[in-house]
Amino acid sequence: MPAGRPGPAAQSARRPPPLLPLLLLCVLGAPQAGSGADTAVISPQDPTLLIGSSLQATCSVHGDPPGATAEGLYWTLNGHRLPPELSRMLNASTLALALANLNGSRQQSGDNLVCHARDGSILAGSCLYVGLPPEKPFNISCWSKNMKDLTCRWTPGAHGETFLHTNYSLKYKLRWYGQDNTCEEYHTVGPHSCHIPKDLALFTPYEIWVEATNRLGSARSDVLTLDILDVVTTDPPPEVHVSRVGGLEDQLSVRWVSPPALKDFLFQAKYQIRYRVEDSVDWKVVDDVSNQTSCRLAGLKPGTVYFVQVRCNPFGIYGSKKAGIWSEWSHPTAASTPRSERPGPGGGACEPRGGEPSSGPVRRELKQFLGWLKKHAYCSNLSFRLYDQWRAWMQKSHKTRNQDEGILSSGRRGAARGPAR
Amino acid sequence: MLPAAGEPAAGDSWGMLACLCAVLWHLPAVPAHNRTGDPGPGPSIQKTYDLTRYLEHQLRSLAGTYLNYLGPPFNEPDFNPPRLGAETLPRATVNLEVWRSLNDRLRLTQNYEAYSHLLCYLRGLNRQAATAELRRSLAHFCTSLQGLLGSIAGVMAALGYPLPQPLPGTEPTWTPGPAHSDFLQKMDDFWLLKELQTWLWRSAKDFNRLKKKMQPPAAAVTLHLEAHGF
Repeated sequence: MPAGRPGPAAQSARRPPPLLPLLLLCVLGAPQAGSGADTAVISPQDPTLLIGSSLQATCSVHGDPPGATAEGLYWTLNGHRLPPELSRMLNASTLALALANLNGSRQQSGDNLVCHARDGSILAGSCLYVGLPPEKPFNISCWSKNMKDLTCRWTPGAHGETFLHTNYSLKYKLRWYGQDNTCEEYHTVGPHSCHIPKDLALFTPYEIWVEATNRLGSARSDVLTLDILDVVTTDPPPEVHVSRVGGLEDQLSVRWVSPPALKDFLFQAKYQIRYRVEDSVDWKVVDDVSNQTSCRLAGLKPGTVYFVQVRCNPFGIYGSKKAGIWSEWSHPTAASTPRSERPGPGGGACEPRGGEPSSGPVRRELKQFLGWLKKHAYCSNLSFRLYDQWRAWMQKSHKTRNQDEGILSSGRRGAARGPAR
Repeated sequence: MLPAAGEPAAGDSWGMLACLCAVLWHLPAVPAHNRTGDPGPGPSIQKTYDLTRYLEHQLRSLAGTYLNYLGPPFNEPDFNPPRLGAETLPRATVNLEVWRSLNDRLRLTQNYEAYSHLLCYLRGLNRQAATAELRRSLAHFCTSLQGLLGSIAGVMAALGYPLPQPLPGTEPTWTPGPAHSDFLQKMDDFWLLKELQTWLWRSAKDFNRLKKKMQPPAAAVTLHLEAHGF
């Protein structure tokens, strides 16, 4: 251990003469500038090695007074003392070490190989970097938020475990315009991601690739070619409102606004709605909602709270032929269906047992039937809305009709039950 | 308070580091309070004390993570390597009598100079290989340390002491020798964190002592009243 440092008392006067720092610098300039104690040098200093390779290292002592010996020295690697059979004295002042079949470095800052004096004090150290060269990164995927920026993600090759610090660099260039650019904002959506915030061109494809470099080599991913317009995503639709449909117990109406950021651009938005019952984790998805800003959910349970979310895909923006990228889901909105006023299943005659008056398959078939009718029977007034209006009327007048003669109501209900089979 | 301009680039940028340190030295004094009708330096001393405790807490978790990154034996509890390159670090350790006899100005000056140096070195601790998370934690700590410096400057201004200006040639330049190995760098990092820790412990005591000195002598007033038969 070096001795002879300025005593603590000297430190309290914090105005050292200008000469002192220079003296200190001179002293520090020489490596291992000890003063009156043994010091040593390990060779090689900070080597980089492939996993499985071997290492021959030496610890050479040169103390003063001269004649310092390598007797009694020992090695530790990452704090663990190495078995004595791995070391041998090359000469009086040098201790050698032979390591074989090295494992990958325990930490990316390098394995700590240390040469200790007999009393355990540290004489010298060397950082070993043992690992693998990087493998090709792959699976690059990118998206642009409202055509303003580009975020890309990739998967590092070999599951990222090279045991060495590996630097990833995302590069991009416009296909016919030469100049390579490097992305600067990393780790925006996870460890292997980068964000390009501005100066993006439309209508010309970009070439994008990732370069991985570490001490042992480098690798480059395949080039991804993409057009910004093909990978556009947007914000979730704002102002999602869910409300009841009159007195209908099995329906809720969902309304939203098309995302404002893209409202100036010509596009056919696609939407998806998903909903679930309050206590459930199973979402039901309504998929074919094209370019509308409202939708009616049907076949729901009465008197139940539902959570609803909507998301948007700006597909076909500026004539892009590809599907865009779905936005995040909107914040969940909740609403409840009206309680059922009719007696429970099996109680009232108008309730088809076990099912709702307009369950999914029934509605689908009815829709198809009405569509066919419109085409072939020229009933242009027919529409699904008309069917719903009829059902609403049926439920409202159920109470009053109950007072009517039973035969009449059951007759009507029989008719109503016809399509429900 | 002038924010120091960004992080120096990694690699051979010690000259830039010296420049950065020079910038820090020339920070203007920032008065902590409006001078007219102000409650005295008491509140800002308290604030500075609180900051040292907060920083001490922050450092504990930062140092733990950083030393794990350096790997064993650096993260072992009794690790005590030789202090080779760390000679220019401001040493917090001081003889008890000397410490007690420091006047307020000297006490504050020593704290201010120490943290200016330490902040400088911490900013240079931009190890390329460290994880993004570690770099973020370091940057966050540097910002907090900058806040502490500002707070100390505020106390000094409130007490009417000028901020220490460096003499030409004494700017803290911690220039490693050309053969500065990675292992030596690790040892330097270790001692930097250790010294930071010691300074924060000491500063808490420094500011506690200052706080006690600044308290109005209430006891004297009471005695005076008693003497008049009240």
